[in-house]
Amino acid sequence: MDSAREEILKNVRRALGREPDSALPALPATARVGPRVAGPIRDEIEALFTEIQKLSGTTRRLAGRDALGPALAELVTAEAVRKATLWTTPDLESLDVAGALQALGVEIVPPQAGKARVAECELGVTGVDAALPETGTLVLRSSPDRPRVVSLLPRVHLAILRPAALRADLHQAFGDVQGDGYCVFVTGPSRTADIELTLTLGVHGPRSLHVWLLPGC
Amino acid sequence: MSHLPASIDFRANVRQVPPALPAAVQKATAKFLGTRAALVDALGHDVWQALRQAGHDLRLHALDNLDRYLEQAERQVLKAGGHVHWARDAAEAQRIVLDIAGQHRARLAVKAKSMATEEIGLNQALETAGLRVLETDLGEYIVQLKGVGPAHIVVPAFHLSTEEIAALFREKLGVEAPAEAQQLTQIARVKLREEFLRADLGISGANFLIAETGTIVTVTNEGNGRMCCTVPPVHVAVVGIDKVVPDWESLTVLLKLLARSATGQKLSCYTQFISGPPRSEAETGPKELHLVLLDNGRSRILQTAETRETLLCIRCGACLNVCPVYNSVGGYAYGYPISGPTGVLFASQILGAKAAGALPFASTLCGACNDICPVKIPITDILLQLRHRVVEGDAQESAVAPYRLQLAAQLGSFALARPWLYRLGSRLLAWLQAPLRSGDWLLRLPPPFNRWTMARPFPAFAPGFRAWWRSRSHHTRGRS
Repeated sequence: MDSAREEILKNVRRALGREPDSALPALPATARVGPRVAGPIRDEIEALFTEIQKLSGTTRRLAGRDALGPALAELVTAEAVRKATLWTTPDLESLDVAGALQALGVEIVPPQAGKARVAECELGVTGVDAALPETGTLVLRSSPDRPRVVSLLPRVHLAILRPAALRADLHQAFGDVQGDGYCVFVTGPSRTADIELTLTLGVHGPRSLHVWLLPGC
Repeated sequence: MSHLPASIDFRANVRQVPPALPAAVQKATAKFLGTRAALVDALGHDVWQALRQAGHDLRLHALDNLDRYLEQAERQVLKAGGHVHWARDAAEAQRIVLDIAGQHRARLAVKAKSMATEEIGLNQALETAGLRVLETDLGEYIVQLKGVGPAHIVVPAFHLSTEEIAALFREKLGVEAPAEAQQLTQIARVKLREEFLRADLGISGANFLIAETGTIVTVTNEGNGRMCCTVPPVHVAVVGIDKVVPDWESLTVLLKLLARSATGQKLSCYTQFISGPPRSEAETGPKELHLVLLDNGRSRILQTAETRETLLCIRCGACLNVCPVYNSVGGYAYGYPISGPTGVLFASQILGAKAAGALPFASTLCGACNDICPVKIPITDILLQLRHRVVEGDAQESAVAPYRLQLAAQLGSFALARPWLYRLGSRLLAWLQAPLRSGDWLLRLPPPFNRWTMARPFPAFAPGFRAWWRSRSHHTRGRS
């Protein structure tokens, strides 16, 4: 195995006329092209929601945590939710999303219950670690209380967004996550145009994406 | 594509192109180009050009220092708890993946779309070893059911009609399948969902490999890329050594270029950043991560300065969409998993001039690909270098053009260097063509030249230039 490594590196160096200890020149200074400056928070949210809607996502502004229960009730009915799985971040715990869903008769499946059981859930609820208004992108990190399968396996993805998660652009968002073991940038619901270029949603990931803005942080 | 032919006969492949194909291809490429153009306009010409230049410079910097960035990427992946393997060629890469599959007694592998695994014929190798291998990108799934390779690197099955796909699903999956895209997509979702949950191995490629942190970046829309890297217990990423980028900052440029150029999106639906296996079990995800770094001819491409920039490619497919040849013949005629202008560059260098010497000639050299390439690869310059390699040979390979062609070229230069012989030759031709001539055209030529006249008439040889010039100058002098 090592001989393959040495041979490939040797061939690359020979092709480039480099030695193993050749210096690494500085990166081209052109990397930062057009950094985006964030506008007022209201405009940023407006831009984010416009982009998400363009991508067939659904957006909603909730007045406060009291509005969460009724909104969940609507969602559970509209999407015929019987089982749900969710992140267990302090924010979602303090909002008691699990309690509100149980009160609506929804069974809560822990994300670590195994992929087959999580896949049976109609709904996955996550927070949002960063959001990019320019592209309508939600950044979801991975940690023990943010399991990856929650935003992937269920048919419906509900993301609870706080204004503090807004970032100006990719530069800023990358600054947050580049030390992470895993993160995913979600830009709209799962989509494909593989059959005669007809846009269809929900091919493998969630078919519907709901983003709800809650004030506070 | 399960295996590659010993030699690619572009002309013969073109004769196999179904008559309905070009129209389907052009419908798709026009749509991609339209959405791309709208987004590029919205960004502004100057910003787009600055992005292209930055993308070019960053990719070239990564290639010029490739050894260092590969070592750094390896170090970081190992530090994050992943495994790193190096494969000199296709056979070695196959063996590595087979070993990993063997260690886990894997029986079912699910695959995200990856041109690197197409290039090394991984599916066939795994199947020969008794594994089931399932392509999970909807387009790849469809062409796999049909038993063919991808016709386009971004939308592999775009040449098939909804009716054809419905018929295929009925035949191969034994389900009631209406000819309606959303319902067919749902059928595939349900079928593939079962397989994802059962799979022992998830195989992907990578759009980029960030050296700074050893991060595998995949860009997908369907979510199958996420499934392959999240749901099975083991994730294997097969990544060409050309995919390394220095840092996250480089990606702020390259991601903007990629999605806009490929599908006319600002950002693809799911962009994943994977640095090693999950740090805790509660995160859910695979237990093991294997990175297979694939050379397979890439270090050889680096050797020739004139062709090195081939490896800047970020596989967006924009050059396919804009290419008049690709638009006329589609993907299969190229006989290689990557088609169009960039496919020609890769195929003729990875397979060599002997196997793929016909491909550099499958171009009009119009240069539309140069203008659209998001990382400014001088595609037609490289094509010319590759043509030169085929006909005359260069430092990399000796000439492979047929002996007759070389002989004809030598005879031509012999005659052109001797005016008396040239004059004699042109008089001889004028005399010989008389019985074949019909007005200004020769309708039928003797073999081997009849290959031309079978398709179209050949213009008759005009009287010698000297005679024409003499009569012309005489005429004009007479007038003045």
